[in-house]
Amino acid sequence: MGTVTAADPHFLADKDAKVFVAGHRGLVGSAILRRLLALGFTSVVVRTHSELDLTRQADVEAFFAAERPCYVVLAAAKVGGIHANSTFPADFIAANLQIQTNVVDAALRCGSVRKLLFLGSSCIYPKFAPQPITEGALLTGPLEPTNEWYAIAKIAGIKMCQACRIQHGLDAVSAMPTNLYGPHDNFHPENSHVLPALIRRFHEAKACNAPEVVVWGSGSPLREFLHVDDLADATIFLMDQYSGLEHVNVGSGSEVTIKELAELVKEVVGFQGKLVWDSTKPDGTPRKLMDSSKIHEMGWKPKVDLKEGLVETYKWYVDKVVSDKK
Amino acid sequence: MLGSAIHRRLTSLGFTNVVGRTRAELDLACEPSVRKFFDAERPRYVILAAGKVGGLHASSAAPVDFMTENLRITTNVLTAARLCGSVRKLLFLASSAVYPVDAPQPIPESALLTGPPAPGNEWYAIPKIVGMKMCQAYRLELGMDAIVAAPNNLYGPRDPFPSESSHVIPALIRRFHNAKVTGAGEVAVWGSGYQLREFTHADDAAEAVVLLMDRYSGDEHVNVGSGREVTVRELAEMVREVVGYEGRIVWDTNRPDGVMRRLVDSSKMRAMGWEPKVELRDGLVKLYRGYLRGRVTNFKA
Repeated sequence: MGTVTAADPHFLADKDAKVFVAGHRGLVGSAILRRLLALGFTSVVVRTHSELDLTRQADVEAFFAAERPCYVVLAAAKVGGIHANSTFPADFIAANLQIQTNVVDAALRCGSVRKLLFLGSSCIYPKFAPQPITEGALLTGPLEPTNEWYAIAKIAGIKMCQACRIQHGLDAVSAMPTNLYGPHDNFHPENSHVLPALIRRFHEAKACNAPEVVVWGSGSPLREFLHVDDLADATIFLMDQYSGLEHVNVGSGSEVTIKELAELVKEVVGFQGKLVWDSTKPDGTPRKLMDSSKIHEMGWKPKVDLKEGLVETYKWYVDKVVSDKK
Repeated sequence: MLGSAIHRRLTSLGFTNVVGRTRAELDLACEPSVRKFFDAERPRYVILAAGKVGGLHASSAAPVDFMTENLRITTNVLTAARLCGSVRKLLFLASSAVYPVDAPQPIPESALLTGPPAPGNEWYAIPKIVGMKMCQAYRLELGMDAIVAAPNNLYGPRDPFPSESSHVIPALIRRFHNAKVTGAGEVAVWGSGYQLREFTHADDAAEAVVLLMDRYSGDEHVNVGSGREVTVRELAEMVREVVGYEGRIVWDTNRPDGVMRRLVDSSKMRAMGWEPKVELRDGLVKLYRGYLRGRVTNFKA
């Protein structure tokens, strides 16, 4: 059932095979869909939430039985920033578990799936994991409390994939991306992560000629960012090349301080006012960097430079803000 | 096993409206069935002791089955309990299996997620950890009084494991009994026998569960262990005596021991006034009698 044989083509040589991208409307899923289409995949199947509610087991099973995809990319999840996770932990943990269990189990049972890739998050790692964070850090310490619900669900997803491989030989792999940014990100003032939040704030300050933008903290924490198009590229690379039991970190390996990031965003947005640091407010974690040597050694490297990525993302954001107003 | 012990205890305490369903009557892994059941029955209290169990050997052999079923049972029951609106309190049974292999002994509740569970056992342990976190999440978001008990190495009547994949006490009973009946000269037991284990009788655990339902509404899970440690050698000797087998015990020291010690710190439970009452030897005697009478279902002689 779904066991890869030597005769099976690699993913990139199999572009007419049916690929199901779950979560194609989100930041990650939409980038993966774009990339697949750009690469010439002819049979990519997607469903919106209203067409297929992945939390419903029977619906997911019926979908898999009807569509019988060869490949599955599981990028669907209930996501949100710190605020959303802390306010609705039950919703987050339950929905994500249901989505994952339903999709992976249906993929296993329908018999047509040759390979499945599950997307997780760097939040699966312990709060105090030594930096840079290697794959082996998983479950070696307590999780960050503000998103432990989401994290434990993602960890269960990794384990489900491993279980499928061990028991049934299903070629299921897991990829754990670092902090992502890019078009189709969430720029909501309360829910978004630091990079889109900075873009929005500098943009709004520019639009109303504000004299300054105040950013919390000292600006010294270090962060790693990866453009979502690079993640999409890595996902396809792993679908093509990787069939290991262990999950794989996907990061750029390059860090910036929050200060460097803020200054870069200010420049890209073209805000002429002042950037002020409110150092009475707390900094987040001092450093968060994934060790991506595993995927780098496999031959994959990111291509999008941070500044170039910010320019492109800002352009997308402006177009969206303008069109949202219409 | 634990579910039936809890049921017995509740009945003996005079609870008049205890509802249970067999697997054939209600498949807890089937979400619409669970929703329908909760909407129809509208229970005030829920004790979630259902799950796929089997020990390290069984879970290593069927990791997907363990994960999928146990994750689904937990998600379905918690979601249905929340949505039907009638549930005042819910208790989820976790297990000492959630703790890391190298946890300090005795293992305090705070050892959770300080390290990975035992390799091969993660397919059972991860869904348990997920269940524990789900209860916390439900409390935090919805104010549901969801609590968690984590018993260590339960034994007792209706431990439902056939042949190889069972837990150590039923396995030893069966093997010594077979050796007695067939007149075998010796029984081989895996490992050195010097590993220390704590066994907790299901009736004592049931008592703890009832006490927790009555008095505990904390966010953290609570360990439930008898506090009585024995070496596997001592255990084997006790089982031999109870069964009345007169041959030799041979220790196959080429086989792995598992962890050398597995004792949970139950001071939190004891502080609530809980005291385990079943002496290991008495528990073994009763279990063997039950086995002989065939009352213990699913035992394959």
